[in-house]
Amino acid sequence: MNPDPITNPLGPALRDFFISADASGHKRAYLQISEALQNPLPRVNDWRQVEYAFTRLFVGPKSLEAPPFASVYLETEPLVMGPTTMMVRSVYEMMGLVSPWKNALPEDHVSLELDAALVMENAAQQGGSAELDELRQFFVCRHMAAWIPAFVKRVSQAESAHPAIVRAAKLAGQWVDDQAVLINAQRNQHLKQGGWNG
Amino acid sequence: MDKRDAESVKQAIGCPMSRRKFLRCLAAAGALAAMPGGLLRSFDAKAGKIIYEGDYEIYRNACPRNCYDTCSIKSYVKDGVLQFIEGAKESTFTDGGLCVKGYAYTRRPYSPDRIKYPMIQDGRGSGNWRRISWDEAMDMIAKKLVEINDKDDSMLGLGLTKYSGNFGITNYAVEGMMTSLGYTTRLVGTPCWPAGIDAQNYDLGDMWCNDPEDMVNSRYIILWGANPAWNSVHTMKYIYAAQDRGAKVVCIDPVFTQTAAKADVYWQVDTSMDGALALGMARHILDKGLFDKAWVEENSVGFNEFADYLRNEITVQWASEKSGIPQQQIVEVAEEFAAAKPATIWIGYGLQRHVNGGATVRSIDALAAMTGNVGKTGGGARYGHMRTWGFNYHALLQKRPEGAKGFLGGKGPKGDFDFSGDEEAEYTDRALNINKTAEMLLTADDPPIRVLWISCKNVLSQDFDRPRMLEAFKKPELIVSVEQFFTQTVELSDIVLPVTTLFEESTINASYWHYWLSVNEQGIKPMYEAKSNTEIAAALSARMNKLKPGSCTFPTEVDTRQWMIKEFNQDIYDLFGIDSWQDLKKGPAKAKMHPASWHDLEFGTPSKKYEFRSDLCAQHGHQALPKFKAARKPYDKLRLLTPHTKFGIHSQFINIDWMEEFNKKPYCYLHPTAASERGITDGDQVRVFNKVGEVELEVKLTQNVPADVVMMYEAWFRNNAYNCQNVVDDTSSDMGKYKTGAPGVAIHDQFADVEKV
Ligand code: SF4
Repeated sequence: MNPDPITNPLGPALRDFFISADASGHKRAYLQISEALQNPLPRVNDWRQVEYAFTRLFVGPKSLEAPPFASVYLETEPLVMGPTTMMVRSVYEMMGLVSPWKNALPEDHVSLELDAALVMENAAQQGGSAELDELRQFFVCRHMAAWIPAFVKRVSQAESAHPAIVRAAKLAGQWVDDQAVLINAQRNQHLKQGGWNG
Repeated sequence: MDKRDAESVKQAIGCPMSRRKFLRCLAAAGALAAMPGGLLRSFDAKAGKIIYEGDYEIYRNACPRNCYDTCSIKSYVKDGVLQFIEGAKESTFTDGGLCVKGYAYTRRPYSPDRIKYPMIQDGRGSGNWRRISWDEAMDMIAKKLVEINDKDDSMLGLGLTKYSGNFGITNYAVEGMMTSLGYTTRLVGTPCWPAGIDAQNYDLGDMWCNDPEDMVNSRYIILWGANPAWNSVHTMKYIYAAQDRGAKVVCIDPVFTQTAAKADVYWQVDTSMDGALALGMARHILDKGLFDKAWVEENSVGFNEFADYLRNEITVQWASEKSGIPQQQIVEVAEEFAAAKPATIWIGYGLQRHVNGGATVRSIDALAAMTGNVGKTGGGARYGHMRTWGFNYHALLQKRPEGAKGFLGGKGPKGDFDFSGDEEAEYTDRALNINKTAEMLLTADDPPIRVLWISCKNVLSQDFDRPRMLEAFKKPELIVSVEQFFTQTVELSDIVLPVTTLFEESTINASYWHYWLSVNEQGIKPMYEAKSNTEIAAALSARMNKLKPGSCTFPTEVDTRQWMIKEFNQDIYDLFGIDSWQDLKKGPAKAKMHPASWHDLEFGTPSKKYEFRSDLCAQHGHQALPKFKAARKPYDKLRLLTPHTKFGIHSQFINIDWMEEFNKKPYCYLHPTAASERGITDGDQVRVFNKVGEVELEVKLTQNVPADVVMMYEAWFRNNAYNCQNVVDDTSSDMGKYKTGAPGVAIHDQFADVEKV
């Protein structure tokens, strides 16, 4: 897979998919996901059905079938804005970033986390630093990798699972896996080269 | 996250030192660039400061639920996030503690299940929901309102049902919004306490109770149909204190409650026979000459007629037969009650939810009055009060749009919280009985209810005759509900609007029980896109005026904190001994009122005395004297009781995760005798059924309920279709129309049978 987020739009497209508000947003992001892949995704005929499934899974108003927040998968109690959300907020702060929906949308929403991973990847490509590497190791390889698979599983097994959404979720899971492999490879390379020097 | 991960999180950032180190390192390296087209933004001063451990902002809140205790709350916020809450220590009533429900409050704003955005359902009940913007939602609603106004030449096709989901004073903006749109239809009355309110008004001239903190002064306490151990936990400490000082506590309830377990005497009264019991006690007190002759002569009218009635028609034996309480016990408690000075009775709301409920409360009032216990500290027939509710009702009192037309010939709606202050006008709103909502929705015509607006209420869980309600909900052309969670009512709505929790809005709260006043400050931003009821009204008004200028008088911009401030006036400041509302930021204030209601013995009745004989009551079609009134005739084999659960306030709280842990699913409770007659054993799945409908659930056998009763708690569960209103009809109680606009409802005069499935 192409590691360059500027030329590879898969990460951004996945990010946009999980935060889009309606059928047209889902469709736009889905087509972008499809374009970023070598094998295009199956056609979706009725985007309204995707939208209904999407709200049942991630938005409401009913109890969510697959909440898109890390807290739900990492904490013993199903609540947001607790330790996990605050930890993720700290990570963004460390990067000098902040969510535009601070205190209105939990920072551990899957799309915000994907965005943070993209920022980190981009910064690493611009040269990076030992601190960034450490943060990225933690955030992507440990934190995201700890909950995204559970999230993907929950989406796949949900009553309202729609094939398009399941595909997007699985791709997100794969994307995080690939990132983790890449980060570890880069780290090993840096260690071999004798560490960071700038 | 496994343990190792959790450790590494802690190491990486949990400790403020290493977190600071991290920040320093990264700051030195320069902030990372946000992605073009990405979501995260560069951190700047506008986004707020980074907060380290220990930096709490403290806010004042109040529990706005329909609970006696209306607790004063102190909340702790860090970096814009509510961390924890505690009961305010400044209020001697709250005394630094909340109940289990209160402590679970932090779970409300941050539940992933919260309603987050305005949403529309394509096909009522289909489950096909789409997210829409506030603009879209307001546009759809406003267009519909303009359309119905054009069609009917009035707004009477717009109906409002709202009750006790949020008692914050600024939430009267919902009623204000209706008024600002024209003359509308209001579902009025109250399912809660109306028969008792009327009864106390006939007897005393108002509903006004002693300060509950003054219960420590009582020498004898009768808890009559009240279960404070569950429903007013803070009052229990005064009851215990009185007990410690030698007071005897008698609990009268068909169900052996947790309160009954704490009492010195427990009477398992036959349901709805409380009036007979009170009259039997009164007769014995009369016979023994234990009544307060001087008090009744000086302060009451009609006592002699009442005494004649007792002598001619009531005996202790009759009372015993009716109530199931042995004569000897009636005699003993009656004598003790009359001898103890002061003695008090707490009249619970359950015992007036009967076809004879108002008459029952009047009999109990009479018992307190004839023993001279009215107007005394430590005494009183305690029911509730609204003496501390003298706000400006700024949010409520809106002008009608020019030229608005309404209902002709009516007197306009009332309610237990009626502060409308409408001047005499040609038109009024159209009033429909809230306790017969299903029937009203089905039969209201010319115009029918075309748009139904629901706020602070879960109609499908709380209103009666649910099978009929399901039919009724098919009728309106548009149903809008304003909610925090997906209830059975939202399920049958077309549009749902997300509303703020108490932490996300500014308001004030008074109690209908104690004498404290609390300010409720907004401590956190609304999560997602939630808006307060005031902001929703403003948003709708903006859209209405855009579509049709002048069609709505509600301000289009509101500052909710300013609106909270506008509710105060000098009388409130004087009553609470404060200079400004700002004083409440330091803690709640208590009204500078005498602890005893009616302490000056100036009653609010036409005669200005306590009225054993109320001509007004007779004019209203009831009995002038507090005579016995027959109970509802059973229509099935067992009596059905649907009281409050410990884990919720009506349909609220039960869905919160901490509550779910203790209270996973509903049960019905049956006496072993009733069970064995039906071949039912503990844990069986049973069907509770009657002429209204049926409910299927697991049974628990218990001797706490009488052998002729099946009991289940009223509740709304997040993932369970349970609904006790499937087996409760909408038969009216005797009183309620006088003060609350509609009679109450005989919630506990229901009957059913049970069988194993
Ligand atoms: S539910 Fe009642 S006792 Fe519990 S916190 Fe609220 S007001 Fe207090």
